[in-house]
Amino acid sequence: MSTSTSSTPRTANWRGWVTAQNVVVVVVLLAAIIFPLVVDRPRFWLPNIGVRTLWMGTIAMSLVFLNRYVGLLSLAQMTFAGICSYGIGYFSVTMGWPIIPSIILSLGVGSFAGWLTALIAVRTKAIYFMMITLALSQVFYSWASQAIEVTNARRGIAPIPRPDFGFINLNDITTFYYFALFLAVLSYFIFRYTAKSQFGLAIQGIKDSPERMSALGYNVNRYRTAALTLAAFVASIGGVILVFDRNQVDPSFVSLDATLNILVVAVVGGIGSLGGVFIGGLVFALLQNFAQDFTDRYMTLTGLVFIGVLLFFPTGLVGLGPIIRRLFSRRAKTSNSAESSETLDAARRAGTHNKKGQHK
Amino acid sequence: MDIWPLILLNGLTLGAVYFVASSGLTLIFGLMRVITLAHGTSFLFGGYLGYVVAAATDNWILGLLAGLLAAGLLGLFTHQVLIRRFQDDDMRVALITLGVAVIGTDLMLAIFGGTATQVPFPQNLQVAVNLPGIGDYPLIRLIILAIAIVLGLAIYFIIAKTRFGSIVRAGVDDAPMTSATGVNVRVVFAVIFAVGSALAGLAGVISGSLFPLLPGQDGSYLLFSLVVVIVGGMGSIPGAAIGSALVGIVSQFALVVAPTYAFVLTFALMVIVLAVRPQGIMGRPA
Repeated sequence: MSTSTSSTPRTANWRGWVTAQNVVVVVVLLAAIIFPLVVDRPRFWLPNIGVRTLWMGTIAMSLVFLNRYVGLLSLAQMTFAGICSYGIGYFSVTMGWPIIPSIILSLGVGSFAGWLTALIAVRTKAIYFMMITLALSQVFYSWASQAIEVTNARRGIAPIPRPDFGFINLNDITTFYYFALFLAVLSYFIFRYTAKSQFGLAIQGIKDSPERMSALGYNVNRYRTAALTLAAFVASIGGVILVFDRNQVDPSFVSLDATLNILVVAVVGGIGSLGGVFIGGLVFALLQNFAQDFTDRYMTLTGLVFIGVLLFFPTGLVGLGPIIRRLFSRRAKTSNSAESSETLDAARRAGTHNKKGQHK
Repeated sequence: MDIWPLILLNGLTLGAVYFVASSGLTLIFGLMRVITLAHGTSFLFGGYLGYVVAAATDNWILGLLAGLLAAGLLGLFTHQVLIRRFQDDDMRVALITLGVAVIGTDLMLAIFGGTATQVPFPQNLQVAVNLPGIGDYPLIRLIILAIAIVLGLAIYFIIAKTRFGSIVRAGVDDAPMTSATGVNVRVVFAVIFAVGSALAGLAGVISGSLFPLLPGQDGSYLLFSLVVVIVGGMGSIPGAAIGSALVGIVSQFALVVAPTYAFVLTFALMVIVLAVRPQGIMGRPA
């Protein structure tokens, strides 16, 4: 994932699009599309691994987007997703509204929550921002587990049936999987498009040097607020998949554990890579489902994997790509300075926002 | 009898527990500019160990020491093995300690179970004292308030008056220059990390004597410590004292006024402080 498409001139030449990144994206996408056809027990694999990977990945991707392009680590992404899930439950079940307006309105509510959070948190930086988003997410958790008239407190809102839109019926698990895949891919391209847009370049400039961008006349906080709102919107898309996956919504959606799980997914997948989160989501979903077979302490195992990744693969599992490639190229040519500097660059980009720059 | 002085005192004693826990966090942040998200883990681990020792020896003081020591050693281990190499990378430190917290939560649930336990304290302390204007009040709460005040003053004087304190303050301002004057900053970092964690462990035992120890408290006390430190200003001991008193009092008053939303109101305090003063009440601008 280290080859950047922006280095190739964007002419009408189609070869410009054949980059390592796009090849990987296409391969992963094809694998995801044939996934329901090749697994032995679709009733188990599709909901427990497939759909779960997709919503965890989508929510974690919004976290990675903020970290990579804005330099802010938000721990409230799961909460935005949960707010959207609650919205769908409240509008469609409690209020009895039709499902499509409920979903659209809930996406708006989730994004609005992101905008509100930004108003409070955007003036702070790095570690402060992380702590404030963590605290705000817990405010919502405590409210959700107590506000009986809106969220039905700890029992939550259930059942929230999967809708039948007429042209697609989400009650069919394969259809639902493809629906979730469509939303995840859509989210991925929203972020990729945004990163390359003028707005995306501006926020990256703000990440690198807020003072300089401010001097150039950019309203730094307004750009950060917009980026956070966009990330909350994508997290809300993850919340749509989530609520129809579980068929209910309860406070455990937005608990500290759920928030941390999303962070684990993002870090294991690679905190600098938008697509890598789906690898993290897959690893996490597999751990959740299969680690229970040989140990009750699968959270300990998850924690150990998490720390191991942080200690040894700061770029996450996608960072393994360049490492493996370097191993092969070392066999081919003894000097590989270009390759290693590329890895270093990837590591620097992937490494979390570091005010002191590189240590060593 | 008026109920408000009682609520105020309850808030202050609750704030005392918060202060002991959050002073450790603010010390670590003040010197090292890193946040340990395993702080709640130290809290609960210390509390459980204090419970085990106090129940086995029938000695509350030994229980306090055990909690202090256990959490201190856990902090030392975490610092030396996991985060020493990444000390300059505050985000990575936060994430690694988060991993420690995830493991700690799971293992403590496995070892100590999901039921509530309470640290036993001596019979002769389980009495009420008559306070003017309030009436009978549990002695243990007053003792804990006194412990917190003495501890706070001690930390303040150590930081302000002793040689070690001046090294710590120098390290806060400029770690490389302090190192250049011959101070082994690595040792100072390790000591502060261990002391900060030990304070959380002590808070765990203290809290376990007042309220039951439960799984999940590691998360909630981490959050309360974070809120206290954000409100009070990071790295400031007086700030932690003001912050924890405020958080304790607001949460107790909120329990009376709007019990359903007590937790939300506590966080509303944080939001208000942040809106007016992003660096916290006693914090220096970043």
